[in-house]
Amino acid sequence: MGKYVLKRIGLAFVTAFIILSLTFVLIKLLPFQRPIGGDAQQIAYFDKQYGLGYVYRFEKEMSQYGELLYKSPVDHGRAYYYYQVPVLEQYGNWLNNIITRWDWGYSKSYQPNVAASVIIMSRIGYSIRLNIISVIFSVPIGILLGIWAALKKNTLTDHTISTMVMVFISIPSFVLISFVLRIFCYTLDWLPSTWPPDTAPTAARIKGYIIPVFCLSFGSICGYCRFTRAELCEVMESDYLLLARTKGLTRRQAIIRHALKNAMVPIFPSILAEFIGILGGSMILESLYGIPGIGKLFVLSLNYKDYDILFVDMAIFTTISLLAGVVLDLSYGFIDPRIRMGAKK
Amino acid sequence: MENHPYSFQKDDFVLVQQNKRIMDKKLETKPTTFFRDAFCRFCKNKSSVAGAIILAILILLAIIVPVVSPHNITNVRTSEKFLAPKMFEAGTGFWDGTRKKEHVVYDAVNGVPALSDKYTVEAIKQSLVSLTVDPEVSMIDAASPYGTGGLIVVATDTALENKDAYMVSKPIAFTNKGGYQLEIVLGDEEHVNDSLLGEYCVYLKSGERAEDRMMIRDFGRDYSPISFDISGAMKDAGISSMTAQIVFEVHSTTDVLRYILVKSVQLSGGSRAKNLDVLEEVSFDNPTVMINNADTTSMGYWACSGRKGIHNSEIYYCDYILDTYKLVYGDADLITYSATEFNGWVDKGWCSYDYKIGPESFVRLSDECPIDSVESQTVMTVTKKLSSVTARGYNYRKMGYDRMPKFILGTDSSGFDLFKRAFAGLRTSLILGVCTAAFCFVFGLIWGSISGYFGGNVDLLMERFCEILSGVPWIVIMTLCILHLGNNFLTFFLALCMTGWMGTAARTRTQFYRFKGREYVLASRTLGSSDMRLIFKHILPNSMGTIITSSVLMIPSVIFSEATLAYLNLGLQGQQSFGVMMSANQQYLSIYPNLVIFPAVIIALMMISFNLFGNGLRDAFNPSLKGSE
Repeated sequence: MGKYVLKRIGLAFVTAFIILSLTFVLIKLLPFQRPIGGDAQQIAYFDKQYGLGYVYRFEKEMSQYGELLYKSPVDHGRAYYYYQVPVLEQYGNWLNNIITRWDWGYSKSYQPNVAASVIIMSRIGYSIRLNIISVIFSVPIGILLGIWAALKKNTLTDHTISTMVMVFISIPSFVLISFVLRIFCYTLDWLPSTWPPDTAPTAARIKGYIIPVFCLSFGSICGYCRFTRAELCEVMESDYLLLARTKGLTRRQAIIRHALKNAMVPIFPSILAEFIGILGGSMILESLYGIPGIGKLFVLSLNYKDYDILFVDMAIFTTISLLAGVVLDLSYGFIDPRIRMGAKK
Repeated sequence: MENHPYSFQKDDFVLVQQNKRIMDKKLETKPTTFFRDAFCRFCKNKSSVAGAIILAILILLAIIVPVVSPHNITNVRTSEKFLAPKMFEAGTGFWDGTRKKEHVVYDAVNGVPALSDKYTVEAIKQSLVSLTVDPEVSMIDAASPYGTGGLIVVATDTALENKDAYMVSKPIAFTNKGGYQLEIVLGDEEHVNDSLLGEYCVYLKSGERAEDRMMIRDFGRDYSPISFDISGAMKDAGISSMTAQIVFEVHSTTDVLRYILVKSVQLSGGSRAKNLDVLEEVSFDNPTVMINNADTTSMGYWACSGRKGIHNSEIYYCDYILDTYKLVYGDADLITYSATEFNGWVDKGWCSYDYKIGPESFVRLSDECPIDSVESQTVMTVTKKLSSVTARGYNYRKMGYDRMPKFILGTDSSGFDLFKRAFAGLRTSLILGVCTAAFCFVFGLIWGSISGYFGGNVDLLMERFCEILSGVPWIVIMTLCILHLGNNFLTFFLALCMTGWMGTAARTRTQFYRFKGREYVLASRTLGSSDMRLIFKHILPNSMGTIITSSVLMIPSVIFSEATLAYLNLGLQGQQSFGVMMSANQQYLSIYPNLVIFPAVIIALMMISFNLFGNGLRDAFNPSLKGSE
C-alpha cells in the first residue's frame, strides 16, 4: 500500500509538472501584451522581466531578435532595447526562477509590477475563508438530510427531499445567484447586493457572507444529500444489517453502529476531496458578487490580458484539482482494498 | 477395443425421453431486445417521462422559434429597448406589456413620472395606465431637476484645512440713486440651533482691497433675515456708483465642517432694463431650480468655493403603471407630409382622400399606409391644389411593423426580442452539446475499450495520458483554446471535446474491467473469438446503457460550460449564445428582472428535465434494477 501511495503522489507531481509546463508554454506563445503605465513603470516592468530572463536587453537595435518590445527613453545618453527571449529558453529560465527563487513573475497591467505571489496571497484568504465556512455548513446539513430521506424511504418526506435535491442540483449556479440576489437584495432588501469592503462594520461584513455561503453550500448540500441517501439505502438493504436486526439489535442501534459506519465509507473521501477542491472558489460567484478572491482574479487578469497573473492563477487551480484527485484516490484505496488499479486482462 | 473388458454398442443406449411427452413449452411471449426493454421500463417512470416531454418541447421550441419568429435579434434598435413582457392584450392587467414602478420621482410641471429615458411628455401621458402621486412631500439633499425649494448649503471643505467657503454672485453695477434693496433669508427656523452652522459674513465686494468691502452683516452667528438698503449705504459712504459682487463667507475655524444655509436672495431696484436682467439672474427664491440652472446653462450667477449642495429640496414621489408598448409604438406626433408623397400613397391604393372635402374624407385602405388620420391640410391659394397634409399615425408603422408588435418575454437593452434570442441561443447551445456529446461518445468509447480490454502497459500509458489531460481544469483548457483560437463555435467544440471524452473513456474502461473477467467472455475466448468480436459483441453491449446515459447528460454540462464562460467574458461570439445573453442582462437584474429571470427559468427547466430524463435513462438501462419497481 505504501508503495502505491508513493507512486500515486509521485505521479501527481509529474502530472502537475507536465501540465504547468504546457500551460506556461501555451501562455507565452500568446501575442505579447504591452504593460500599461508611463515610461517609469514600463522600464521597471521590463527590467524585472530581464532579471527573470524573459526578455533580452540591448543597448542598440538588434533586428535579428524579432519584434522590438519596448525602447526606453534616452537616459544619460543611453537607451535600452528590449526583445522577447525564445519561448523554450523562457521556459528554462522559468523553471530556474521557481526552483531557485520561488519567483512566479510580476503583474503587467492589473496591478503593475506587483509580484504575482503577493497578489495571490492577498486574495486567496477570501476564497479559503468563504469555502471553509460553506463546507462547515453544507456537510452536516447535507448528510443529515440524506440520512433523514434514507430512513424515511418511499414516504412523503423522502419524496419531497429527493425532488427538491433533484431540482436544485440541476439549477446552474449563476441562475441560483440571480434568483437569490433578486429576492433577498432587491425585493426584500435584507442583504447587501455586493461584497462589503473590508472597512465596513463587522455586522455588515457578516451579512455579506450570507449570500455567497448560501450559494456555495447549496450545490454541495444537494450533492451530499443525494450521495448519502443512495449509500445508506444500499446498506440498509444488505444482508448483514438484516442479521444485525435478527440478533436483536434495535433499529436505532443497527443503523448507527452498522449502517451509518459503512455508508460513510465512500462519503468520507468525497468530503476530503471536496474540501480541497473548493479552495479554488467559484469564479462565477466571486465575479457576480464582487468577492476579491482568486476566482475573481481569473476574470480580472483575463480582462486586463495580464497573462502572468492568469498563469499563476491557473497553476493554483490545477494544483488544487490534482491534489483533490490524489486524496480521493488514496482514501478510496485505503478504505476499499478490493479496488486495484492497472490489473491486467 | 478388443482388449477392453467392457464394450458398448449403440443399441445399449436408450434415450431417456423416448416416446415420452415433452412438457416444455416454447415461450409464447415475444422476445425483447435490450433497448426495447429499457424503453418499456423508462416509460413506467413518470417523472422521467415528464422530463422527456418538457425536454422535447424545449428542443422543439429551440428549433422552431428562431425560424418562425419574425422579430429582430440582429440589428440594434435602442428605441425598442426594455419593453415589458406582453402575452395578453393591454388592459388585462397581467403579462400585458405594462410595467409597474413604485416610488419614482414625480415631474410636477408636466404631471408625469420622471422616466430615466427621454420620451416626450405626450407619449408618457398617453401610455400611463395609472398614476398615484404620493401626497406627502419628501425632502432630499440633492438637486433633482424635478425638485423645488430647499436651501443652498455653503460648506467649508474638511479636506482643505482652515479654508473659508465663499458664495459669490456675478458683478452687478449699483448706483446710489437706483434704490437697490437686498433681502436675504438664511435657513429655516428649525435650523437656527444647528451646532454645525458656522460663523459667516455677508458683504459687497467691489475690489480686492479690504476697504473695497461694504459689510452687510459682520461675522457672527445671527441667522435672522437680512434687509439691506444698498443705495442708502452707498449714499452714506459717498459712493455714486460701483460694480460689486455679493459675497457670503463662511468662516472655517477648526477642521470640523461648517456651513450656512441660504434660502433666498432678492435684489430689487434699478431703473435701466439691462440691469434688471442681472438683478433677476442673481435673485433666487428657489434654490433647487437655481442650482439646476447653474449646472446646465451657465455656471455664472453664483460661484461657490468650498462645497455647495442643496438641503431639503422638496420632491414628490409617485407610483405608476405604464404601458411600455404604447410609449414606444403609440401615437406619433403630428407629421406634415408633402402633397407628392401623400399622393403617391393614394396612387398606390393605400388610402383614399379628397382634398376638396377635407381631412374627414381620409380612408385607410391598406396596412402599408403609414398614417391613420389626417388632421389638417393646406391648399395652395393660386392653383387650388393640395400642397401638404398634417397627419397622425402610429409609431410602429414608421418602425416597419404592420401592427403593434408583441414580445412575449419583452426586449433587452438592444431592443432584441428576448424570447427569440433565448431560444436561438439555446439552439446554438444544443447543437454544440449534441456535436460534442456525439464526438466524445465515439472517441471515448474507442479509447476506453482499447484501454480497458487490453490492460497492462497499453492501459497504463493511455491512463497516464488521460490523467494529465484530466488534471487540467476544464476552465484552463477552454481559456487557453479561446485565447489562442478566438471564441468561435469551432474553438468551443474543440475545447469541449478535449475535456469531454475522458468521462466516457473512463466509464467504458471501468465497464470493461467489470465484464472482461466474466465466465461468458472466457467461454467465448476459448471458442476462439477475436479481440474485436469480444469487445464489440460481448462486452460493449453490457456497458452501453451507462455510456449512453453519460453521453446524454453531457449535453446539459456543455450548455452549462458555455454559459459559465460567457460569465467570465469568454462567451461565444458570432453566434446567438445563451450564456452571452444572460451575462449581458445580469446588470439589469435590479431594474428589469424579467431579462434575467425568464432565461434563468428556461435554462433551469432545461437542466432539470435533462437530469430527470438522464436519471430515468440510467435506471432503465440498468439490468439489475429489472423487476425491482
